[in-house]
Amino acid sequence: MEKDNKIEKKSRRAFLKDASVKGAGALAGAAALLTGSDDAEAKATWAEHFQKNYRLMTDEEKKESAERLEKRYSEEYGKKVTVGIEPAMPGVLFGYALNIQKCIGCRRCVHACVKENNQSRHDENGKATEIQWIRVIRMEKGNFAFDQNKMDQGYPHDKNFKHGVQVGGNAYTNLGTLLEGQHYYQPEKVPEKDAFYFPIQCHQCEKPPCVKVCPVRTTYRDPDGVVVIDYNWCIGCRMCMGACPYWARRFNWGKPNLPAEDMNPKTHYMGNRPRMKGVVEKCHFCLQRSRKGRYTACIEVCPVGARKFGNLLDPNSEVRKILDRKRVFRLKVEMNTYPKFFYFVD
Amino acid sequence: MKMVNFATDFLCYALKGGSKFYTWLLFLGFFIMIWAYGNYTQISQGMIVTGLNDQVSWGLYMSNFVFLVGVAAAAVTIVFPAYVYNYKPLKDVVIIGEMLAISAVIMCILFVLSHMGRPDRLWHIMPVIGILNWPNSMLTWDVIVLNVYLGLNVVCGFYYMYKKYTGEPVNKVFYMTLVYVSIVWALSIHTVTGFLLNTMPTRPMWFHSMVPIKFIVTAFSAGPAFIILAFFIIRKNTKLEIKDEAINMLSTIITFCLSISLFLTLCEIVTELYPSTEHSFSLKYLLFGKHGLSGLVGFFWASLAMNIIAFILLINPRTRKNHAILPYTCAILFVGIWIEKGMAFVLPGMTPSPIGEFAEYTPSWIEIGNSLGAWAIGLAIFTILAKGAIGIQLGDVKYSEVKGEQYEK
Amino acid sequence: MKNNNMIKSIFSFIALSLLLSGVAFAEEEADPLVCYESRGMIDEDGEVVGYTIVEQTDVDTGWPNIKCSPTTKGVLWWGDPFDGTEAMGEMPVEADYTHEEAVVKPRETHLMEVIGLFPCADMCHGDPEVVAVPKNNKPRVLTEMHLEKFEDETGEPASLRHGRGAIWCLNCHNRTNRNKLIDHMDNEISFNQPQKLCGKCHGQIYRDWRDGIHGKRIGMWVPGGKKRWWVCTECHDPHNVQQAPGNRGFAQLLPEPAPELPKGMKNADHEQEHGVHDASSGHGAAAKH
Repeated sequence: MEKDNKIEKKSRRAFLKDASVKGAGALAGAAALLTGSDDAEAKATWAEHFQKNYRLMTDEEKKESAERLEKRYSEEYGKKVTVGIEPAMPGVLFGYALNIQKCIGCRRCVHACVKENNQSRHDENGKATEIQWIRVIRMEKGNFAFDQNKMDQGYPHDKNFKHGVQVGGNAYTNLGTLLEGQHYYQPEKVPEKDAFYFPIQCHQCEKPPCVKVCPVRTTYRDPDGVVVIDYNWCIGCRMCMGACPYWARRFNWGKPNLPAEDMNPKTHYMGNRPRMKGVVEKCHFCLQRSRKGRYTACIEVCPVGARKFGNLLDPNSEVRKILDRKRVFRLKVEMNTYPKFFYFVD
Repeated sequence: MKMVNFATDFLCYALKGGSKFYTWLLFLGFFIMIWAYGNYTQISQGMIVTGLNDQVSWGLYMSNFVFLVGVAAAAVTIVFPAYVYNYKPLKDVVIIGEMLAISAVIMCILFVLSHMGRPDRLWHIMPVIGILNWPNSMLTWDVIVLNVYLGLNVVCGFYYMYKKYTGEPVNKVFYMTLVYVSIVWALSIHTVTGFLLNTMPTRPMWFHSMVPIKFIVTAFSAGPAFIILAFFIIRKNTKLEIKDEAINMLSTIITFCLSISLFLTLCEIVTELYPSTEHSFSLKYLLFGKHGLSGLVGFFWASLAMNIIAFILLINPRTRKNHAILPYTCAILFVGIWIEKGMAFVLPGMTPSPIGEFAEYTPSWIEIGNSLGAWAIGLAIFTILAKGAIGIQLGDVKYSEVKGEQYEK
Repeated sequence: MKNNNMIKSIFSFIALSLLLSGVAFAEEEADPLVCYESRGMIDEDGEVVGYTIVEQTDVDTGWPNIKCSPTTKGVLWWGDPFDGTEAMGEMPVEADYTHEEAVVKPRETHLMEVIGLFPCADMCHGDPEVVAVPKNNKPRVLTEMHLEKFEDETGEPASLRHGRGAIWCLNCHNRTNRNKLIDHMDNEISFNQPQKLCGKCHGQIYRDWRDGIHGKRIGMWVPGGKKRWWVCTECHDPHNVQQAPGNRGFAQLLPEPAPELPKGMKNADHEQEHGVHDASSGHGAAAKH
């Protein structure tokens, strides 16, 4: 530890002295230890800083780095933490279906996700933000209401409508488009009479734009269709956040604030293990659960059973039956992303 | 040996100057200190110290980056007439353009480093030791073209100065090949930066094939404007003779490019607002504000007004050629384009978020300090490089067998 | 000696304080963290009431059976989905999941112990001297005991919330044995298997439920894995299924807190603004340019 401190002080000095340094090599090691000694990241070993991209590791290397993390996390959070490295299950392609007719907008999925996936919690001192991977949008049913008083109105604003109405008076009131919802609704009770709700999270696209734009291939699609992120390889450029059409990705702006007592000790390397500051994260269909056959946290908490999950390759799976039997749509099909997240109505 | 002499002589000349020179460097040094503090804070606490959030995840750093890529590319406005048209008045000062390109690319790199959440992991993007997702990721293209452009300008500029220093003739084939490559390359850097943004259909405001050309014409307005300002300062403070023709040539280039830029702005507004689909929400938010949020409205109209005023002053030959007015025109234009690329292009592209959330972003003081500091570093580098280059161009810095003779008047 | 005494007294002081703090600590821990599984709420007294109340305990170190929502007191996360469940018994025919290990949380125990319905049924409806066994299934005006099941509390059959007079209590409840429900053939149905009762009328939904595409199930998604099936009445109130129009068959509940506002935003008032703004800036703006 003392040695680490020494190195740290030295490199800090070196860094400040050579302030205009543009060479990446010099920065690579120095800045890693610039994070302050009380920081959890400072406890990370050199091996952690200089390990390969997860995808390129051999099985031994994966095991080694998972064990390294287990040791560090267990010490840090004061309980036995496991870091799984289960690969995708053979013959499984994950799919998700959400019944928007059922959703009551209670946001339990949002918070279940936070509890399961060790996201950063709200910090009173503003040193970290609360990260949530699911966003429930409230859509006003009134958007579809048409006003009888506006039937004689419109554009051009000509009293006698000599030239005919080009735009009816009911235009420019929202059509319930996705771009007109409310994200911060907080009524006494849900569901509200005049609203329906639209949860959005990562759609695990077959053709994910976020993966294409990543300059270091830290994010990629695993064989079971889940788009994963190697948190240790991410450089924090946020290209993926710019490219994602579903606004599924979140950034660790500060050092994640994860209280030890609320930390979920069953983790996966590509899933819910604690993240560090400066990296991107998002929904991964609870890899740590789903790859062991368990439902995701959001599925289990939904009080109305609006969320369904399963293997798209299994014709008897719940998702496949929904695709066969219900009216299904995908969000933003025009983006050609082929999401594996389906919305449906009964 | 000659190389070492060149380096020491160049630096000695570049770093020696009058009180004005040192005051200027000290002034920049103040901002560089702020930059150092700001970056230390940002690295130790994370990007939480910026005003950025998940809704608007690209901000001031990215805006400045985009703008400065343009400034870097604008060196070509000197190089091109000088070598392709063999335009003598610009040929004498071509080196200043190259030094500007070097400084601007360095600033770009500084802004990218500030933008990154994990600058310590920059090595992940290096081929061989890391993974470069080329050709898939547009950012890797940008990294490549910018670094090659930096290399080209360093080699071109310093090779030319070294030859001038030693008094040897320039190897025409080698030098001219590099010059021609760098001319095309200059266009590529801003084109690729345009592609970086406009290949994201998620952000409808950027998703426009017009972006690269608009980037280039705005760059070729703001860049030469900066060069003209530099020329006026150099003329006033050094013995380097910069001909009026050189400045007039540049102001003509600005006029052409600015008129195209304004035309493209008009095209964009009409194309977006005539059908007025959901995809024009960003532009509407920028132009008029939306749902009571209007943080960028003032910036857009201010930038448009600045560009139009500059255009009027430039299109009229009497005001354009009036060198008492021209510096002000250039300053107005430079600021106008800076706003246009940042507050009126990069930022509104992030609002609303892809799922329709409107959030306004205000840069934090740390972000502003870091940006000012990065500019200060770039300007300091430019000052030093340009000063050395002027010394060489004037023949003040010359290779001589006897040490110490070169500073005798 | 003196020293010894002092040491002794110090020790006993420490021991006492440790003991006291231990007691205080234990007392704190003794207050169990409880929340409801479904159809629940915090009532006026701040008590958690609901269909099934569960207590948070650690299954593994740092791995509780459930996590409760601090705001709504609903179960927010499932560590152990099978706590307190038993085999569902005979699976409905036609289902593809017959090979699975299906479990449910037994209703009858809950009704008996928590709500106290069964003793009541035994005491009132089981004793002809208290309440006579109805001679047939014909509707009639009900006594005050059950008026909350009616829309206007008149007890008129037409105002029964479920079915609005098209069905009657005894279409579902066993006329002679109130501890059981009843099917079309007058066979008894356990309260543990309300799906068999509801399926009498709601065939399509029953089919969807059997196939796992209606309703909630937790546990393992893998074919052959163990699943806890949630039965109809765990989510829907059988006497008031519809709730209010637009409620999608669920009672209203308190939502979990809204997300943190984006940095720099003071409020989300702009979300309330609608179309009006566009009417002036939309088309008019295009015309301006």
